[in-house]
Amino acid sequence: MTKHRDTRLTLPDIKALSGKSRREFLRTAVAGMGGVLIADRFLVRGLQAQPSQTQSQAQPDKMVFSMVVVDFNKCTGCRTCETVCSSFNNKVSVNGRELPGLGNPALSNIRVHPYNPDVDVPVTCLMCEDAPCIAACPVEPDPQSQRRALYRDGRLPVLRNDLDRCIGCGSCAEACRMSRVGAIVPNRETNKPERTCTLCGGDPQCVKHCPYGALSHIVQGLPGQHYGLSPDAVAGLLTDLWYGKR
Amino acid sequence: MADKIPGYHGVLLEANLTTRAVRRIPLAPEDARRFIGGRGLGMKLLTDRLTRPGVDPLSPENPLLFMPGPFSGFPVPSASRTCIVTKSPRTSPLKSANRFASTVSYANMGGFFGPEIRFAGYDGIIVTGKAASPVTLWIDDDKVELRDAGKFWGMRTDEFDRKFTEELGDRRFRTCYIGPAGENLVSYACVVNTAARAAGRGGAGCVMGSKNLKAVAVRGTRQPQAAEHEGFLSVLEDIRRNFRAGFDGGAGYDDWRRYGTASALISASDNGVQAVRNFAEGTFAEVDKIGGVAAEQKLWVRDFACFCCPLSCKKAGVVRSGRYAGISHDGPEYETGTMMGANLMLSDLEAVMKAIYDADDYGLDHISTGNVIGFLMEAYEKKLIDRPFLDGIDLRWGSADAILEMIRKIALREGVGDLASRGVKALAAEIGGGSAKFAIHAKGHELAAWNPHRSRGLALAYATASRGACHLNSNSAKGQNEYAANDSTGVCLFALDGFGKDGLRRLLSAITGTDWTEEEYLKAGERITNLERAFNCREGFRREDDTVPDRFFEEPLTYGPHKGAVLKRDEFEKALSDYYKDRGWDEKSGRPLPAKLKSLGLEVVK
Repeated sequence: MTKHRDTRLTLPDIKALSGKSRREFLRTAVAGMGGVLIADRFLVRGLQAQPSQTQSQAQPDKMVFSMVVVDFNKCTGCRTCETVCSSFNNKVSVNGRELPGLGNPALSNIRVHPYNPDVDVPVTCLMCEDAPCIAACPVEPDPQSQRRALYRDGRLPVLRNDLDRCIGCGSCAEACRMSRVGAIVPNRETNKPERTCTLCGGDPQCVKHCPYGALSHIVQGLPGQHYGLSPDAVAGLLTDLWYGKR
Repeated sequence: MADKIPGYHGVLLEANLTTRAVRRIPLAPEDARRFIGGRGLGMKLLTDRLTRPGVDPLSPENPLLFMPGPFSGFPVPSASRTCIVTKSPRTSPLKSANRFASTVSYANMGGFFGPEIRFAGYDGIIVTGKAASPVTLWIDDDKVELRDAGKFWGMRTDEFDRKFTEELGDRRFRTCYIGPAGENLVSYACVVNTAARAAGRGGAGCVMGSKNLKAVAVRGTRQPQAAEHEGFLSVLEDIRRNFRAGFDGGAGYDDWRRYGTASALISASDNGVQAVRNFAEGTFAEVDKIGGVAAEQKLWVRDFACFCCPLSCKKAGVVRSGRYAGISHDGPEYETGTMMGANLMLSDLEAVMKAIYDADDYGLDHISTGNVIGFLMEAYEKKLIDRPFLDGIDLRWGSADAILEMIRKIALREGVGDLASRGVKALAAEIGGGSAKFAIHAKGHELAAWNPHRSRGLALAYATASRGACHLNSNSAKGQNEYAANDSTGVCLFALDGFGKDGLRRLLSAITGTDWTEEEYLKAGERITNLERAFNCREGFRREDDTVPDRFFEEPLTYGPHKGAVLKRDEFEKALSDYYKDRGWDEKSGRPLPAKLKSLGLEVVK
C-alpha cells in the first residue's frame, strides 16, 4: 500500500498517470493496499503508524492514520455534516468568549456533492499516507523542519498549510483533484488552501452528528470500492448500481 | 445599507427583468418583526407592490417572490423551505368587476434553495417585470446577472437540471426552474428544484414562465447572525436531542424515515379520506398496489433529505423492468401517488411512477393535473364529452396510456390540453351539463389528495384557505394562524413535532433577539392570514366563494368502510359562520371587519 510513499510525485507525474489511465493508477494503488491487508490484517495499524520518509524523522508523536469514511447507502445528502464541521472548526468570539460558530457550510471541511439522479457524495480529506498534495507542493523544504508549505506533524495526519510560505499555486489542490478526491478547496481570492479536515482533534463532529449514521472515523487502511475516487467517479458508480445504466 | 436587524441580513434582492436592473433594497425592520419571513413577509411585499385590485397575474406588474425565513441559513433541522409568493393565476371569484381578480398565491418547496438565498446574503428575492427573451438569473453572493436561456427554453426539468448544473460549473449552486408547462403558461405549472421537489401549488411556475424566467441559481458564502449566539446553540442542541430521542423509540419519526408521506396512502384509504375516482370515493380497493409497502419493495432505492433534515422523507426509486424500465425518480409519495394513482383508478405502480416522472419533467403540479384528468375521465364516462373532444384519446379510468398522453397535451397546451391547462373550473364552464358538481376546486384551485366527504373540518380548511383549496391549512382560526407563522420561519411542517412545544419560538427568539411569546407568534400568524384575506376581499372574493364542490354535500361515498359519509350543508355553513365570528370577520360577506384590521395594523389594505 505504500507504493508511492517514497516517491515524490510531481504534478506532471500525476497528470501523466491520471491522464493515461487514472483508473488503472488507482487500481494499482488499491490492489497494493489489498495485498497488505490480505497478508496480515492486523499489521495495518502498525504499518501505517510508521512515519513515512516524506515527514520529519524528528516527530515526537507517531502519526496515526485515520480518516472519516462515508457509507453512501446511508447518506441522504442533508449536509448536517457541513454545518457541524463548520461550527466546530470556525470558533467565533462572542463577548470575549470563544464559542462554536453557527455552521456556515462555505467554511466546512467536508463538502457534499449532489448529483442527478439522486446521489450525494460527501468529500473530505482522505489523510493519504502518500499525500500527493504534499508531494506536489513546490515550496522548497525548510532546512530545519524539512517542511514544505503544506505539511503535517503530530499524531493526527491532518494537513497544515503555512500561509506565509504558501505561494497560492494550487498544485496541491490540483494533485488531490487529479489523483484523489478533490478535498482541497483553496480560498477563492488567495488560492491558498486554508481548511481541510482537522478530524476535530480526534473526535470528528460530522461523525458524531450525522442523523443517519452514515459517517465513521476509522483507522485508515480498509480501502472500500470507492476509496480515492473523485466524486464524479463515485457518483457514476453509484448511479449504475442504484439506478441501472442510463 | 440597511438597518441592522438581528437574525436577518436586512437586504432583499430585486431583479427587474424588463429593465434588467438589479438592486439591493433594505428590509424594513418592522416588516421583519410583524411578518417574520417566508410566506408572511412575502405577502407583505406582495401587497406593498400590488396596491390596486385586478392586476393581471401574468403581467410584468405581478411580482414573483422567493422567500426563505429567519431559520433559513442556520443549521436548524428541516429549515429547508422556500416559499414562492405571487398573485395567483389560478383562482377567480364567483362575481367580480375585475377580469383578472384572483387570490394571493404561495407555494412551499423543500430542498436547499432557501438556505442558499440566505447564504448569498439576502432575506428574499423579488423578481418583477418581464424579460424580452428567456433568461436565467444567476446570484453568486454580490454578483448578480441575467443570462440568455434561449438554448434551454423548451427543455424538460430533468435534462435541464443536469445541463444547467454543467453550465454553472459548480454543484454548490442551488437552482430552481420551470419546465415546458411553465413556459407555455399552463395555469398550474410548478417551480421545480433538484428535478423532483416542487413548489407545486398555485401556479408559481406559470407566473415564472410569464416573465420569461427559466431558472434562478444561487450560491453564497455568507450567513446571517443570530442575535443570541450562545442561546441559539443551546436551543439547537435541545432540538437535536429531541429529534434523536424520537428515533430511539420516543415520539417516533421511524415511519417518516422509512416511507415518507407514502405511509399515508393505505391509512387514508382505510379511513375513507383519500381522493379516489375524482373524489367520488374515499377508499381505493387497490391501494395496496401503489402504497408505501409496495413501493418500497418494487421501486425505492435510497432515502434523501432536505437541508439539515433528519427525516429523509424523499424516496428515490427506479423502475427496473417493463415498459417504463429505466425511469429513476422520487415517489410515489402521498399526494403524487394519490392524484396520479387512486384518483385516476390507476393501480399499476410503475405507470404511476411514470406519470409522476412525466408531470415533474414537464413542470406540472401533480395535484391539479390529477384533478383535471380525473374530471375529464368522469365527464367522458358520463358522456358529457366524446373522443373527438379528447383528440381521440380513450380516457377511461385507469388507462395509463391515456393519462400519459393527457399530461403531455396539457404541458404543451396541444388540442384538448389547451383548455385543460386552465383547470377544472374552466373545463366545467366549457363542458356544462352539470359537470360543475364534480369539478373539484375551491375558488378555482383544485383540492389536494384528501377527500373531505367525512370531515367538515377538512372542508372548512379547503374552503377558507387564502390560496384557494389547500390541504396544508387548519380548520380553526388559531390553527391557521399558527400554520401561517410556521410557514414564515422557513421550517418544514413535517418536522414540527421534533421541535417540542416551545422549540420554534425559543429558536426564533434567539435568532431575532426579541422575545416571541406564544401570543405574539400567533398574532403574527393572524396578521398574515388577515392580510391575505383582505387582499382577496379587495379582489372581490366573498363568503359564497368559501365553499367546496356540491359533490361532497350531495353524493355520499358508495364504497368502503365509510360508505354513506357525506357533508351536511347546514352544518358546514354554521361552522363557517362560527369561523368568521372567531376571526372577527363579517359573517355575511366574509370580509375582515375594520376593527380587526386596525388591531393588526393592516388598515392599508382596504
